[in-house]
Amino acid sequence: MTATLSDFFVYSTRTFKALFQPPFRSKDTFQQLEFVTWQSLPVIVFCVSFAAMVTIMESSFHMKLMVQNDSLVPGFASLLILRELGVVVSSLLLTSRVGAGLAAEVGSMQVTEQVDALRMLGIDPIRFLVIPRLIACTVGGVILSLIANLVCLYCAMLISELKLGYSSGSFLTGMRAFVSYKDLVFAMIKGGCFGTVIPIVSCFFGLRCESGAEGVGKATTNSVVVASVAIIVMDFVLTYIFSHFY
Amino acid sequence: MPKLLIDVIDDVGNCLLFVREVMFTALTSPCSFASICEQIWTVTLQSLPTTALAGFFVGAIMTVQFTLQITTFGALGYLGGLSTSGTVREVGPLLIAFLLSGKVGAFTSAELGTMQVTEQIDAIRCLGANPIQEIILPRYLGIIISSFFLLAVGLVMSIFGGMLLGLVFSGINPEEYVRHIPTIVNKFSVANGMFKCLVFAFLLASICTYKGYSARGGAKGVGRAVVSTAVLTMVGIVVFDWLTSLITDTAMNVVLGNS
Repeated sequence: MTATLSDFFVYSTRTFKALFQPPFRSKDTFQQLEFVTWQSLPVIVFCVSFAAMVTIMESSFHMKLMVQNDSLVPGFASLLILRELGVVVSSLLLTSRVGAGLAAEVGSMQVTEQVDALRMLGIDPIRFLVIPRLIACTVGGVILSLIANLVCLYCAMLISELKLGYSSGSFLTGMRAFVSYKDLVFAMIKGGCFGTVIPIVSCFFGLRCESGAEGVGKATTNSVVVASVAIIVMDFVLTYIFSHFY
Repeated sequence: MPKLLIDVIDDVGNCLLFVREVMFTALTSPCSFASICEQIWTVTLQSLPTTALAGFFVGAIMTVQFTLQITTFGALGYLGGLSTSGTVREVGPLLIAFLLSGKVGAFTSAELGTMQVTEQIDAIRCLGANPIQEIILPRYLGIIISSFFLLAVGLVMSIFGGMLLGLVFSGINPEEYVRHIPTIVNKFSVANGMFKCLVFAFLLASICTYKGYSARGGAKGVGRAVVSTAVLTMVGIVVFDWLTSLITDTAMNVVLGNS
């Protein structure tokens, strides 16, 4: 356990050091960005729109319980969506899609000794493999959290018009009273932070993958679990920090 | 695009046929009780630390967010009840299902996929045993039953985390925090959360055993099965979250008789 942790610290400092050293592999970075952002977009948009419907229904339930009417639902729901829901759901989805994919990819490269081949050619595998994915995931996390929040708010507006009978104008007015531009910026910062964690964790588990098919499976599972728990813990820390700025 | 659609429909149909076969096996030739207990023990023990940690932090996050929202109304006394109600009804089952899909779902499909690819499942069939009865069914039931234990642990930890943050962040002492939980969380809320947990566990068990059992094509095929299990369970959980919310909402309106 301690050995793993110290390995992880050494590995992540090396990663951050390599982040600022040329050469930058821009072509690979853009390919990864396409994989992370564009190919995850349909799944994330689909899931987030369903999550928005659930949020509206649940907050309407709690409002009726507490203050007997649900006139504050638009404000509360948009607050919940912008501060927590949009970014957390999209990053958890990104973990299971991109994180598992990265761990499986890097893990099978390690098992088939392609990583050793890179090392033999004098290429640092961290700079060659991890850095493009790290940059792509960070940028992709910011973009995806922005899109996920917008889609989520739009769906919440739609469902509150259809189910609760608010016009879109009153939804937007209620929303303006509760949230501000700051919330979107904080959500994007959160998305960037979560996007940084995913490739670091999954490439770490991929690079120390044990041989055989079982090793790759174990690396994938571990990376998904550790990344999801790390996202939840980081979400708590960031929420605590941001709560002083509202 | 039409081909993709047909593939999706094909996959869903195959999965349903697989579930039907598992159910049929469960009714006609059930597996031994000991093997189910073994699976429950493995699954629960495997994900207990993760679930407890995640539950603790979820409770903490809910408390911080609710504090920010309800101080403007001066209703800080209701903090404990509100955040517990939100966790029990909605967030707890959802998050535990997400974590289980990452941990147990990926592990089970990797295990079954490796067994399938290395022809161990064919070997079992050769020995005259039914692989669904011997291998799939204990895992299937084990995941469903142990998800309830994990839900209980996660919810208790979330109340504990919320209580701690209520003390540290919003200045509510634990007695005050606990006092409003029974007034807001009623038995319908708990039943709602348990129903959701059951549905998610059922979905997760079906997808991961199906994907693992139908893995083909070497180590790459196992990797593909694992990744598609993770993505599919996440999507399925979110969709069924909405569906169960709709069902319980309607059911409660019918039972209580209001609008």
